[in-house]
Order: sequence, then C-alpha cells, then structure tokens
Amino acid sequence: MATDNIIKIKNVSFSYPESDAPAIDNISFNVKRGSWTSIIGHNGSGKSTIIRLINGLLVPDENGSPSIEVDGIKLTDDTVWEVRNRVGIVFQNPDNQFVGATVADDVAFGLENRGIPHSEMVKIVPEAIKAVGMSEYTNAEPANLSGGQKQRVAIAGILAIKPKIIVLDEATSMLDPEGRNQILSIVKDMKEKYDLTVISITHDIDEANMADQVLVMNDGKLITQGSTKTVFSQVSLLKNIGLDVPFFEQIKEKLQQDAIKLPDNLDSEKELINYLCQLNSKM
Amino acid sequence: MSKILIGRYVAGDSIVYRMDPRGKLLATILFILFVFLANNPISYLIVTIFSLAAVAATKLKPKIFWDGVKPLIWLILFTSFLQLFFTVGGTVYWRWTIFALSSYGFTNAIFIFIRFTVIILISTVMTVTTKPLEIADAIEWLLKPLKLIRIPVDKIALVMSIALRFVPTLFDETFKIMNAQRSRGADFNNGGLVTRAKAITPLLVPLFINSLETAIDLSTAMESRGYRGDKGRTKFRVLKWSNVDFINLFYFVLLLGLLLVFRTH
Ligand SMILES: Nc1ncnc2c1ncn2[C@@H]1O[C@H](COP(=O)(O)OP(=O)(O)O)[C@@H](O)[C@H]1O
Ligand SMILES: [Mg+2]
Repeated sequence: MATDNIIKIKNVSFSYPESDAPAIDNISFNVKRGSWTSIIGHNGSGKSTIIRLINGLLVPDENGSPSIEVDGIKLTDDTVWEVRNRVGIVFQNPDNQFVGATVADDVAFGLENRGIPHSEMVKIVPEAIKAVGMSEYTNAEPANLSGGQKQRVAIAGILAIKPKIIVLDEATSMLDPEGRNQILSIVKDMKEKYDLTVISITHDIDEANMADQVLVMNDGKLITQGSTKTVFSQVSLLKNIGLDVPFFEQIKEKLQQDAIKLPDNLDSEKELINYLCQLNSKM
Repeated sequence: MSKILIGRYVAGDSIVYRMDPRGKLLATILFILFVFLANNPISYLIVTIFSLAAVAATKLKPKIFWDGVKPLIWLILFTSFLQLFFTVGGTVYWRWTIFALSSYGFTNAIFIFIRFTVIILISTVMTVTTKPLEIADAIEWLLKPLKLIRIPVDKIALVMSIALRFVPTLFDETFKIMNAQRSRGADFNNGGLVTRAKAITPLLVPLFINSLETAIDLSTAMESRGYRGDKGRTKFRVLKWSNVDFINLFYFVLLLGLLLVFRTH
C-alpha cells in the first residue's frame, strides 16, 4: 500500500459566489501516500482554495462531475468530518489560528471538538507538546510566544488528532529564517515518524525543493506538475508567470543558452559546481 | 503594555490563589448580597472585619487594594456626602433650605462609605487572585442552569475565552497601527478633545478591518480543526473543588449567621 494515492482530485472547479472568474478551473491531480508535495503559484492563484476544497470547507462546482477522495474516502456531506480527521492544516498567520487561552488549551482544541474524554486528553496533549519541543511553555499564553513558537503549537494541535496528511498553507511565510527552519525540520521529523503525507504551499523556493512532487498554479489552473527536477527545469515557464526558480536552475538555463552542454542529472547546486569544476579541469 | 489583560490579575501565592474560581465567584456574590443585611454599627463592623480578613488572606500589598478603591473614591465620597446632607432624622445640628446635618445623616454616610468600600475590596480580592480565564470558567459554571432554557452557555463560554485570548493581540495590533500612523506624522497625544478624536479615526478603521480578517481566519481554522458546535464536545480545562473551598464558603455562611443575629430587626 506504500504507493497508493492518498488524495485523488478529479475535474474540480470552484468559483467564489460573488466573483465571475473561477478560483479553481478544472483541476485534477493525485498525491502519493507518504510523499511531500509543494504547491507554488503567485498570490491569488488558488492554492489556498484547493486546500479548502480538500478538507470540505468549500464545495466544488457541480459541473464536470468533480470528485475528491482522501485516504479512500469520497468527500461528501456525510464524510466531511471523517476527512477533517485525516487532514491537519497549519495556516499562514500564527495568531489567527491560536484558539486556546494557553498552549495546552490550544493543543486540546481539536480533541475537545472530537469529544475525546478528559482522561485521554491529559495524556495526548503533553505528548504532542513535547513532540514540537514546547514542553516548557505548556501553560504559556499566546501573547508571550513568538510566531515560530505559535506555529509549533499549531503543529502540536494537529499531531494530537493523529492525521494522515499535514498541510502547510504558507505556514512559514510570516516567520524569521530560524523559525522557518525549525518548523520545516519538525515537519520533516514528524513525516518520518508518523508516516505523514505533507502538502506545503510556499513561496520559498528552498522549501518547495524539499518536495517529491511540485504543482504549479496560475490563475486557478494547474499549469504543470511533476518532480522538483522536471518542474524547476522549466525555467522560462516559471519566470513567465513570475515565480522564482532555484538559483542553480537559473545558472543551468543560462549556461545552456550559451551552448554549454550539461548532463541531465544535475539535481543540486553541489552537483553543478562539481561538474563545472571538472569541466574546467578538462579544458 | 501588550501584556495587559482584562482584569487585574496579580501573580501571587496564598491560600486564596489555590481556591477554585467558582468558589471565589460565589463567595463574592454572596458577600455583596449579605452586605445589604448590615444595618447597625455592629453588623457594619462585622462586614468590615470580614473583608479586611479576606484582604489579609491574599498576602498581597495593601497598595493593590488601594488601587482598586482609588478610581471609585470620588463616587464613594460623593454618595456619602449626599447621605450626609440629605438625610434628616435623629438630632438635627444644622439646616439650610433643603440641606441638613443630622445624626442619622452621619451614620448613613458612614454606612454607605463602608458598604461601597467592602464590596470593592472583596471584588478586588477575587479579580487580583483569579486569572480572567478562570473567572470566565466560573461564570460559565454559574450560567449552566440557563442551558435548561436553551441558552447556549457553552458557546458563550467559548466566545468569552476567545475574546480574552485576543485582547493582547488587539493591543499589539493597535500599537503597530499607531506606530505606523505616527511614522507618517500622526499625533495622538496633543491637541484638544476633537483633534484627538480625529486622530483616533484612522486608527479604528484598520483595526476594525484587521479584526474582521482575524475573525474570518479564526473561523476557518476552528472549522478545519473539527469545531462543529457544542454537540459531543468535551472539555480539557476542568475545575476541581477542594476542602479549601468548602472551608471558605463555610466562613461566608458564618458571616450570614452573624449578620442575621446582630442586625437590628
Ligand atoms: N472568500 C473569498 N471570497 C471571494 N473570493 C475569494 C475568497 N478567497 C479567495 N478569493 C479569490 O480566489 C482566488 C484564489 O485565492 P486563494 O486560493 O486564496 O489564492 P492563493 O492562496 O493562491 O493566494 C483569488 O483571486 C482570491 O481573490
Ligand atoms: Mg493562500
């Protein structure tokens, strides 16, 4: 079962009630179980809207017989709560998703909603807080935490409900580099430890590069998808829609334009540097 | 400044801090009701001693309690003076048109003064030793019977706790916006009332918009985290009665007994 698709999206479109252009325009894609998927695209391209469709906060337009399946469950009115048990989302603004009065209260929020008995909550909550390294702040109030710490609490709140999928919707974009790296390394660890599937929406090219699969959105359309290598090597396409490309991909593109032949398997800055050094010594 | 919360909780460690907020809230309400039983010098002496004992039990500096009384001192004095000059009875010492000084006036003024002061003291004992969130929990408990008439007490309680949680966030926002406006030359501290009120307007609009955005984000996050109303919801934060609370409430029953015995019938 290691390679099945945990998310299957087919022919999904969505328009917000008061707008004429669709926010999501006939999108289909799959996400492999246990994989890391990045979604990139400029502001307003529909990235957050897709996530809201996946966890049933929004309902796709009727046309084109759309279907959304999460962990083998077809998303309907009756299954939406089951689906939400499987998908945890960390949102962009650290303050606007902190519901509880203290760290422990906030981590418990999802458990309270699911009617978990108090006797179990007192066991689960400290464990989840410990997993994100926030134990010494258990009773701290959000006003006394940094943005990165609040995002760690948000992750703990998600871990507490033992989801299958964790979504970062620009979760690191309001953090300083240190906070950002902490969040990413926690998510990486948790992914390994609990066999999670990660979807990360990001403007940060290094973060996008952590993925197995990249989806590129533009004006509600999925314009390209594939491995980081295939997607980021489409330098001109990405530049056309105003997206960043990893620095070494830009160099590769420029070198190739100058008719310097590069092998296909250069996947990182280091490999490129090594190759160029060898090239130099050959000349 | 950003750490301000509603209420005036002061960190400390005494038996009052270890009491259940429900017990403290109940005791405060009972005390306020009981004070109205006092109607002669000895019963007023009893409530005074009782409230001072409660103040002492907090082991906090008297200044904290003086800070509680201070904002209301003029109201207290004004009300006492009204009693002093408008009560007629007993021996009348002085009289001029509608004003009079009488022995009844003196005692009434003193009684009113005591009544006000002890009520403020006891409420201060509660608010300085109990975190706002605990007070909200206690209010929720007190309102529970209203569920019978279909009042959504749990929802109200959640709203209260979220409101409390966002007070510092709103303060932060306000200061950020103020600084942003200041850096563009806005002046919030000078000028007359009208000028200052005008300076506040460009502060309120972004604050209002920010709050709306926060509310929308928050509701999205809550729903994503599985919030679906009160049905089947359990609670992580639970309050526990202890012996201290029973002893505390016993004292208040004792107070009631004493007042019933010593008041003038
Ligand atoms: N609640 C809403 N009501 C109406 N339009 C919206 C709403 N939320 C987003 N949109 C519009 O839908 C489009 C996609 O938005 P969104 O999914 O938030 O983009 P992204 O997350 O990629 O920045 C944008 O054009 C945006 O203006
Ligand atoms: Mg977005």
